[in-house]
Order: sequence, then C-alpha cells, then structure tokens
Amino acid sequence: MDRVTSWIARLVLVFLYVPIVAVIVYSFNAASGGYRWTGFSFRWYGELFGDTALLQTLATSAVVGVLAASVATVIGLLAAIGLVRYPVKGSGVVLGAIVLPLIVPEIVLGVALLSVFSFLHVPLGILTLVLGHLIITLPLTTLIMVGAFRTLDPSLIEAAADLGCTPWRTFTRVLFPLMRSSIIAAWLLAFTVSLGNIVISTFVSGVGSTTMPLRVYSLLKSGLTPELNALGTLLIVLTFVVVLSVGIQQMRRILASPSGPAPAPERTTAPR
Amino acid sequence: MKRTALIAVAAVAALGLSACSSGSGGSSAASTQLNIYAWADEIPKSVIAAFEKETGITVTVDTFDANETMISKLAAGSAGYDIVEPSQYAVQQLVGQDLVEKLDHSKITGLDNLGKKFADPSYDPGNEYSVPWIWGTTGLAYNEKCTGKAIDSWDALWDPAYKGKIYMLDNMLSAYIPALQVNGLKATSTSEKDIEKATQSLLDQKPLLAGYNSSNYSDLLASGDACVAEAYGGSAIAKVTAANPDVKFVIPKEGGTLWVDGFAVAKGAPHADAAYKWLNFTLRPEIAAMATNDGGSATANDAAKADITDKTMLESVAVYPTDEQLKDSEFIVDPGKALQYFQQGWTKVKAS
Repeated sequence: MDRVTSWIARLVLVFLYVPIVAVIVYSFNAASGGYRWTGFSFRWYGELFGDTALLQTLATSAVVGVLAASVATVIGLLAAIGLVRYPVKGSGVVLGAIVLPLIVPEIVLGVALLSVFSFLHVPLGILTLVLGHLIITLPLTTLIMVGAFRTLDPSLIEAAADLGCTPWRTFTRVLFPLMRSSIIAAWLLAFTVSLGNIVISTFVSGVGSTTMPLRVYSLLKSGLTPELNALGTLLIVLTFVVVLSVGIQQMRRILASPSGPAPAPERTTAPR
Repeated sequence: MKRTALIAVAAVAALGLSACSSGSGGSSAASTQLNIYAWADEIPKSVIAAFEKETGITVTVDTFDANETMISKLAAGSAGYDIVEPSQYAVQQLVGQDLVEKLDHSKITGLDNLGKKFADPSYDPGNEYSVPWIWGTTGLAYNEKCTGKAIDSWDALWDPAYKGKIYMLDNMLSAYIPALQVNGLKATSTSEKDIEKATQSLLDQKPLLAGYNSSNYSDLLASGDACVAEAYGGSAIAKVTAANPDVKFVIPKEGGTLWVDGFAVAKGAPHADAAYKWLNFTLRPEIAAMATNDGGSATANDAAKADITDKTMLESVAVYPTDEQLKDSEFIVDPGKALQYFQQGWTKVKAS
C-alpha cells in the first residue's frame, strides 16, 4: 500500500512538473513552431528582448502587480488586526464581505466593474486595473493575515504594552517581525494572482495598459510563437529565485532558533 | 496612532496610483497622442515608428483578442481610444450600436488606392465608417503527405479517411462557413432552415474531429498530426506553407470566405484629428506595403502591391489568393437576428 501511495505521489509530481520542464526545453528549440526538436538556439530569447510591445505589457503587469499586492497586503494586515484583536458585533459580516469576491465568478465582477467605472467616468488604465485586481487579491491576503494573526499569542502584545511600548512600537517591534513571513507570503500570492489575471483585466484595462496575459491571449489570432516559451522560462526562473531566497531565509531562521519558525526578536528588529 | 498609520497608508497608495495614472492616461487639447485599439501583430512596428517620426504624435497601441472584447469596451464608454480595428462584421455591429464616427471623406485622401473588393464593400457601403487595412481568407489547409492527394473541397473535413486528424476553427461563425458551404448554401445565410442543416452537418462531423482549434493548427499540420484543417489564410499559415512544402492552403471550390480588418474612428475620439492623420498615412501605398513586408499580411491597398519587396508573397495562396480563386468567396457579415440560430446550434454541437 505504501508503495502504491509513493508511486502515485511521484506520478503527481511528474504531472505537475512536465509542462514546466517542457516550456523550458522548448524555449531553446530552434524551430519556429511545433514540438519537433530541430536544434539548440537562443533565437527566441533574442526575439523576446526585441519585442518591445510584449516587454511593455510585461512592465504594465509588473507595476499593476506590485501596486495591487502591496495595497492588498496592507489592507489585509490592517483588517486582520482590526477583526481579530478588536472584535465587535458584525466583525464576521465584515470578514465575509471582504472574502465574498472569492465565490463570485470573476466575469461577473469584471462586467460589474466596467459598468461602475464607466458610470463614474473613471478612465480605464492602471488605476482601474489595480482596483480590479484588489477585489480578487484582498480576500486572499485578508484570509492569510487573519489566519496568521489568530495563531499569535495575544499575551506577546500585552507584554509589550506592559513594558511600555506604544501601540505603534508594539506594531513595529513585536507584531510586524512576528508576522513577517506571512506578510511576504500574502504579498507574493497577491502578486501572482494579479500577474496572471486575464478575466478582470479584459474589462478594466484601458489606453496603454494592456497587461502581459491580455497580450499573449490576443496573439492567438496571428499564431503563438516559441518566443512565449522564452518568456515563460524567464518568469519561471524569476519565481524560483524569489521562492528560493525567501525559503532559504526562512530555513535559516528556523535553524537558528530552536523554538521553531518564530524569529528571535532581537535579531529581526535590529535593522530598524 | 492607528489613525496616523492609516493616513500614511492611504497617502502612499494615493501617491502610487496617481503617479501611474498620469503616466498612462489623458492628454490635453493639442493632439500629440493617438490611441489605437487593434488586433495583435496586424500593425507592424515600422508603420507606427514612421507615423510617429513624421507627425510627432505619440502612438499607444493596445491589443484585443476578439472583436467582441473591443465592442464591449467601447460600448461601456470612456475607453479613450481614437482608432479601432474591427473586422468586417464588427464594423456593422459598431455602426449599429453607434460606437464609431461616420468618416468625413473630405478629410481622407487615398481611398482610391484600395482594391476593388474593399472599396464599397457589402458590410460598409461606400466605406462610410471604415478604411480596410489588411485582409485574409478562411479556407482549407492540408498536409499532402497525409492526405496523399490534392484537396479542393470542404468535403475533406467530412471524410472518414482522415478520422481523428481533422481540425475545425474554434469559432462559431468560422465553423459554420464550411458547414453551410458544404451543403451548397451561402456562408452568409440567415435562414433558420439553412443553419439547422449546417448544425446537423457539424454534429455528423464531430466524431471525425480531433478537435476545434484556432491557435496551433498550422503546427499540427506541419508535423502531420493534422491531415486537414479549416484555416485562416494569412501570415501564420503562410509561414508554415513556405517552410514545409507538404502543407498546402487552398480556397475550397465551394467558395471560402473573406475577412477584412480595417480602421474606424471611435465615437467621441479624444484625438480625432490625429485619427484622420493615421487614416491618411496608412492609405499611402508605401506604408500599406509594410503590412506585407514587415507584417506578413495582405494589404487591402492595391496600389501598394508595387512596393512589396518579396514578390513570392503576391503568389502565395495563403496570403494573396487571386481574384479567380476568390470568385465565390463571400464576406462574413453580421448575422443580425439569425445569430441566435447559430448560437443554439453551436451550443448543441459543442455539447454533443
């Protein structure tokens, strides 16, 4: 039985990683299409770096992603502090309201946003993209933050106050360091969701703000080229670098402190 | 304390957002800007660069994946685009919804450069609303190694000999082109009976299909994984037919169809004067020729043919089929009320 499970696990892993490996391998294929291997080449990387239109949309996506993820993480953190630390009647309703967009089909949100923006005469662009992406990233960051905050021992905050910390100092010296890994996780998740979004972006992008997924999707008519494999490979490499660097940091902290993932306060607060 | 933190957050957010929106957005009265909403890869970079250099106008190009996306953006209002690039049936829809400006022909020179198929086309009589830019066909592509013979009829898409190696375009109106024409009906038919007959043909065909595919059928043909496929003529299939002599593109004897993507001025365009400059600029033969030289598509501008550097393009059926080959080809037009018959049928086909 154990052997069966372990084989299934291996198969699942293969299934998950085959497409990723394929993208990387084919990004070095010299052929101008199809899956026949005709030779090793950097041709598609050259074309990618010459394709200003695609790179421009990638920059748009990055800007939107960073803004949406940052705003969503900050609001999520504040919401978590408010909802968990100072619960009042109706806190549950507020949390429900924030999380609701998770179960509303994105296409409905997109259409609704387009009507709202045009009713308010908000010109479509980066601003509307960020607002649109906020709706779908905020539930994620809020849920992560609420979860992380709930696991915190409230006596730590009380102890800090007891020792003379103002609420702001408590936040910067105790709360923030303790929640840092969750904050990074929430930010990265929100950024990824924003970067890959296509449905909401379709409706709320405007003049000069075509995002990378929209560009790729619109290339379907004229034909996809292996240039997109090169783009995919670079994004995968970037993701690996980010995840690894965050992961290595986390691992170091776990190894450094015998008590587990919670970092030692004096180490993490030192840079401030 | 809590309040200061909130204010700080709000201020940072507002700064970030406003800094960006001013970068991408609006302009003042003098038109130094032109916003174009177009199909990806249909306007070569060289055309835009030449236009910017000559006029000093900064061009922003956004791309859409379907006419319907573009129409819904314009319909919502406040989109901010000056020039849009609808396909032929989309011109009719845009006109019907009052989303494009009637062109002032006194401000346009060079309309007589257009080929006779595109001057006064059925979907836009008198070119009142649109100026055709590039065109192509919907026809039949096949791999001769796989079929073993030349093919010239839509019948091949229903031939059990190619079972599991037949692809159809994954687009409702496109899929109905062979389905209608194979029955001897017009691809522009709006009769419920005709459309029902075509739906039945599509249902009969389904067990033979490898799939509906609009993205990489040309690769599949090149590798031999597809024998016959309904295909859009144009740069994508032309590249494959040039690289692999086994792959052929033909306009089927039943007629096939034509598509045209042209420029129209969006209603309330913020830079209408720049939009007219664009129309005049792209009507010049030497500029229109760039659509073929740099973009690999067929230009609707007949006068431009002299400026096309790669003469083999002019002989490629995939790019420039001759008038003789196109004698029975029709423009697919807006089906109007008949759209619902297509939709009902297509749902049935997709569900079966």
